[in-house]
Amino acid sequence: MISKTFKQEKVGCQLLEAGQAQPYTPGTKPQFGPVWDKTLCVRCALCYIYCPDAAISRQEDGFYDVDIKLCKGCGICHRECWFGAVSMQEVE
Amino acid sequence: MDTYTLYAAQFLPFKEHFGPKGHNACKGCGVALAVRQVYKALEGSGANIEQAKWQIPWEESIIVNSGAIAAGSQPALLSIAKKEGALHICFDNECTGGRVDTAVMLKKLPAVASASGCDYSATACPSHPFDLVDKIRKAWDCAGSAFVHILCPCPVGWGFEAENTVKVGRKAVESRVFPLYEIAQGYYKITCEDPNPQPVEGYVKAQTRFAGWSAKKIIALKEEVNANLELLKSKTQKTL
Repeated sequence: MISKTFKQEKVGCQLLEAGQAQPYTPGTKPQFGPVWDKTLCVRCALCYIYCPDAAISRQEDGFYDVDIKLCKGCGICHRECWFGAVSMQEVE
Repeated sequence: MDTYTLYAAQFLPFKEHFGPKGHNACKGCGVALAVRQVYKALEGSGANIEQAKWQIPWEESIIVNSGAIAAGSQPALLSIAKKEGALHICFDNECTGGRVDTAVMLKKLPAVASASGCDYSATACPSHPFDLVDKIRKAWDCAGSAFVHILCPCPVGWGFEAENTVKVGRKAVESRVFPLYEIAQGYYKITCEDPNPQPVEGYVKAQTRFAGWSAKKIIALKEEVNANLELLKSKTQKTL
């Protein structure tokens, strides 16, 4: 549980001291999320390096999977996969 | 195959410094992507990235003289203290509030930084991650101050689908609107050379921020891009 406190900031919301950011969860789930087809995936990690939200992580078997709580459903992984292994499907 | 030191993303560190618990950037944010790649490049180099400072760029002396910034672009600037000098990284999403002209797109910040005493300055784009990682590491390892200008496509400000962030960045590089080069102690080097550049029209048509542009203006932009490229090539030949 994060304790919420009030602090006067400078004009323009400049944060001049480090370590002021609080953990943030973007929401419960996106409308569409990536799903990997393991028969097509070659584990090149392009989806991993192109994810802006740091939602894609490496699993123990070497394949990649998404943390749907961090994903925003932008679809960059689907667009950038050379092998068509990533498809965007509706999140239940 | 000896352009970059790294060709596989698996060998980058898996630790997440940026947004390990999520962040509130828009979906498909180019700035978030660039910041994440920069943090990955600096992991293990000894940089104190937890203490890095975010600044408003026009307070920095190295960019003050650039009229393009004064024209309305407000990129974010990350400054990391080194042993001698500092490493400045400019995350430029060209957010000019809907108005866009060639001065904003074709600014030469690395030349300004190099002229004001930076030992290493370069341009990078998150669509070319290995190039970006190499440049950030070089900038960290060089002796004095360093500056890296990163173009970050912005789906909201530029007007394209969120899934095309990397694609539009790649188009900017391949159409030579944003050539990737580096200046190490006055020596120019183009790091991403393509003998057959893509047409500028492809880059322009992918975004709705150019919807109001006339055909004449696009041709003028094309000529300016070509002139810039010729100038850059002449500089690389001079120093060799």
